[in-house]
Amino acid sequence: MLTHFAFDVTVKTADCSTHNKNKIMRVPGALYAARGRAPQNENDVPFQEILPLRLKNSVSGKADSGADVACLQEMGVLFACLKDNEFVEQYCSKEITKFQQCYKFYMDRKFEAKKTVNQGIVQPGNNLNYKQLNKYLKRYPNPK
Amino acid sequence: MAYACCASKNILRIAQCTTRLMSVYPSHYVSPIVDKNIQNSKGLELSHIPIKAAPNDVNDTIFYGELKQKFLNYITKKGNAELAKELLTKTFEAIKRTQIERLNLGGADQEKVITDAETLLINAIENSRPLLTLSAIKRGGVKYQVPVPLTQRKSYFLAMKWILDAAREKERKVKLPDKLAWEILDAACGQGRVIKKKDDLHRQCETNRAYAHYRWS
Repeated sequence: MLTHFAFDVTVKTADCSTHNKNKIMRVPGALYAARGRAPQNENDVPFQEILPLRLKNSVSGKADSGADVACLQEMGVLFACLKDNEFVEQYCSKEITKFQQCYKFYMDRKFEAKKTVNQGIVQPGNNLNYKQLNKYLKRYPNPK
Repeated sequence: MAYACCASKNILRIAQCTTRLMSVYPSHYVSPIVDKNIQNSKGLELSHIPIKAAPNDVNDTIFYGELKQKFLNYITKKGNAELAKELLTKTFEAIKRTQIERLNLGGADQEKVITDAETLLINAIENSRPLLTLSAIKRGGVKYQVPVPLTQRKSYFLAMKWILDAAREKERKVKLPDKLAWEILDAACGQGRVIKKKDDLHRQCETNRAYAHYRWS
């Protein structure tokens, strides 16, 4: 490594000399980086445990709420149709029903999902919602 | 029911501590059925199920219409349902008069003229229902107008609100039933301010379609 850098320096000096001889050669930063930065004294910076260094016995329900973006494709198709027909809905009845059905299906499924979450029935399996996970964690907490 | 179960959770394992209900009725209560025919067919099924009290503005006669009743509720101001009913009756009268006049004048499309005011009201509401709406969503400090699909309930609400708003925007001398009749007749034919408002909203949604993936809620 070092020899390579040394070679690099010689090349640079040769380059500089051709342009202007009066200026001092700039030492490339890579030379310092190769040596590395000196480590700090560990006694100067004692470790502080700001947050407890162990897992909690609960999970938040944020991830389960999920993204609310549904029926984007249907919406795009509907917009295209409406634009082609100058926003007269009569000519786009097929697209409209498809879009509304999609949204209704999505809302129904969301409602059902919420209902099952609120029921909080614990079942075996790996596809658990946050309430079920919390029940499990309450029953089998992390070792202290 | 719901909050009592929280206390007895350890004793009764079946009881689950769910979110507290805001309704007067516990969740196992069933909504009453208005239609007599369905009542007769479902009578045995419901004989041992608790049913909620019957709402006092619903009945099983030919004078009752679900959409009409809803519209009546939106006309009502400060609980004065009597006045609202009077205004809607006058509106229907005005509609009927103009339509019969049109019928008797005798044009080319004489068979197409609808004289039933309630059908015209329903047609007007159906015609002015929006498909999408814009909702302001903040992303990175900027508010974007994002097109969002509407539920059926919300779209009916908006249609009725727009018709009423258009009718209420008038000169002092013009009476509400006359203006409302005009708006309903216009909207039923697919013309007028309410339909234009709906189309404008759709156009705006179309121009803002690039932000559609910002949606949440």
